[in-house]
Amino acid sequence: MSAQQLGETVKQRFGDKVLDLSAPDLGQLYLTITPDSVVPVAEYLYKDLGCRFVVNSGTDRRRERGKFLITHFFTQDEEKIYIAVHTEVDEDHPQIDSITPTVPAANWSERETRDMIGVVPVGHPDPRRLVVADDWPEDLFPLRWDVEHGTKPPPVEGVAMPRLDPPEGASVVPIGPYFPVLEEPTYFRVCGEGEEGGGVDHRGFYNHRGVEKLGCSVLTYNQVPFIAERICGICGFVHSSSYCQAVELAAGLEVPERVEYIRTIMLELERIESHSLWLGIAGHIIGFDTILMQTWRMREPLMWLCERISGNRKTYGMNLIGGVRRDIEPEMYDDILEVIGNIEREWQALYDAIPGDGTLMARLQGTGVLPTEVARELGAAGPTARGSGLAIDVRIDHPYAAYDRLDVKKCVYDGCDNLARVLVRLDETLDAINIIRQALRDMPEGPIMAEFDEEIPAGREAMNAVEAPRGEVFHWVLTGTENRPERWRVRAPTYANLQNVPPMLKGNALADVPICIGSFDPCFSCTERMEVVDVNSGRVRVYTQEEMLAETQGHSES
Amino acid sequence: MFKKLCQKAFSKSLWVYHVNVGACNGCDIEVIDVLTPYYDAERFGIKLVASPRHADVLLVCGPVTRQVVPAVKRLYDAVPDPKLVIAIGSCAVGGGIWFDSYNIVGGVDAILPVDYHIPGCPPRPEAILHGIAVALGLAEKQVAPVHLKQLPDRPESVSIKTPV
Repeated sequence: MSAQQLGETVKQRFGDKVLDLSAPDLGQLYLTITPDSVVPVAEYLYKDLGCRFVVNSGTDRRRERGKFLITHFFTQDEEKIYIAVHTEVDEDHPQIDSITPTVPAANWSERETRDMIGVVPVGHPDPRRLVVADDWPEDLFPLRWDVEHGTKPPPVEGVAMPRLDPPEGASVVPIGPYFPVLEEPTYFRVCGEGEEGGGVDHRGFYNHRGVEKLGCSVLTYNQVPFIAERICGICGFVHSSSYCQAVELAAGLEVPERVEYIRTIMLELERIESHSLWLGIAGHIIGFDTILMQTWRMREPLMWLCERISGNRKTYGMNLIGGVRRDIEPEMYDDILEVIGNIEREWQALYDAIPGDGTLMARLQGTGVLPTEVARELGAAGPTARGSGLAIDVRIDHPYAAYDRLDVKKCVYDGCDNLARVLVRLDETLDAINIIRQALRDMPEGPIMAEFDEEIPAGREAMNAVEAPRGEVFHWVLTGTENRPERWRVRAPTYANLQNVPPMLKGNALADVPICIGSFDPCFSCTERMEVVDVNSGRVRVYTQEEMLAETQGHSES
Repeated sequence: MFKKLCQKAFSKSLWVYHVNVGACNGCDIEVIDVLTPYYDAERFGIKLVASPRHADVLLVCGPVTRQVVPAVKRLYDAVPDPKLVIAIGSCAVGGGIWFDSYNIVGGVDAILPVDYHIPGCPPRPEAILHGIAVALGLAEKQVAPVHLKQLPDRPESVSIKTPV
């Protein structure tokens, strides 16, 4: 089924409710629907057509159209189609029906849209704020065009987000915001009875830096890749590639083939680097520091190699719209092969040692179980999804760069536990080495920059996803005037994966909580902030700051 | 005098606690990198500890976001005196590329007294080692701060103008 045909199917079902339909690029479908049909269309896509929810986005189009544009993004992986469902909401009544009761994965992004644009999802089960700081004014929405990017309202003391109440008789273990195994600040409240964990409440987004606002109000097209790389210092190249590819698709730019291969090689080098980093951290979390030392030792020559290729150990700064800044010189091919060859040899040894290690097995096997159905419902991505038996991988489902010409393996395990997620990553690293070898062999000669001199036209849009080490990174760009995007929406994989924590922790020993959280390689700077979700009871209690302080104090002393 | 005391007290063993106040992870992984076999900061007696109550030094990465301010202030108070604060990375030094974003308070010195700055995006592990060695009195400082004056006719708020 092509994107056009899929659109026709939806149009047949909903008739006049579908106001507009276009399928400009292969695998991309844009629908505009009436506000009253948001829930039925979402339900039809999600339940009947087997689509996966990606994210939603709000755009302030009051200047051009007098309306807010709300967009729900879905993907149909089997048909290789991304679907954007646009709805225009009147500026005087900024409300839209919430799809979260039907599509649970939309929970966070609907709340984020409310925080950033001010369009209220009516009927949302958790009306608390998500992204902005606790003391941010209620009536100020940063992504509206008339709010300056540098607006800094004065701080207010003593404001804290309402927390979910633990069930009767349970004790609460606060984890964070500063906690040794988590590199970044985030706050979990795990309710438990005895040694067993129950519900979890989460407050995140401590790392919210306003990336999207800067990209849509201050920077130009070619400056955004610089900031996009700094969304995440570990998988930065993923973000800049995805952004550049989205703009190229929107502008109809043909990228030279060599550029696609260079991007592929850098993406796979980054994957090896990220997975070895993660394996080390996972070892550290379960108290097995030998793994940390070994994997980071193995990884270091790769950092030096990346520095030789790009000029920086991390945040390579190579991507531009239409190409890359630096070529991979043919003299470097042998160096790359040597470095990845060494990593492959040592990785294989590690691979053989892990299943035989009783300590590791005891900590990993059967802990942090995330059943396949739950993972699908909550929209898990990347190794987290593949460890739960969901065979989704953007490199194969929605090929980008040079992946359609290379032999890429989907590494899927159905163990659903921490061990499965470890094995997925172990396999993927070996596969990444294999992909780099193929890419180096097949890479054609040619220019590294597309030639174009006309401006990027306004009002075009494109979606693009890239398989980051942690899962699917999704970017949507709506081109605008003044040489910058009108709207640039980013969804990082941890955004989807973090919502899977509550079911994963249920029934685990408290000692296993860190490795469960660590097992999907959380990257809070990508996600931009945190908050607690599920509990056994639905009641909400507002904690005062003193209570919160007392809790945190107790934690830091213990 | 405080500085001398610190240098004497810390020169043999320095326990560090790593704080992310909004960083992208780039600096954080380089901080961990310093502790792994190739750079091995432990040979200087530097140890990463799990609680601020055990720490002598706070290694702070990232631009300070609005949401972390109260938590970081509490964390700083939990570190026993005498203590040092080292700001690692361009963002921690002055807010970096995020300096005028709505959710950013600024560099680390906007909320904590900072003793040493290690710039870079991210700083190389060698730079981090050098910075800590300066703090220990093992190496000389290579640059000195320059104070720039704000001209009176410039408006208070800074707006960045970017070339198109």
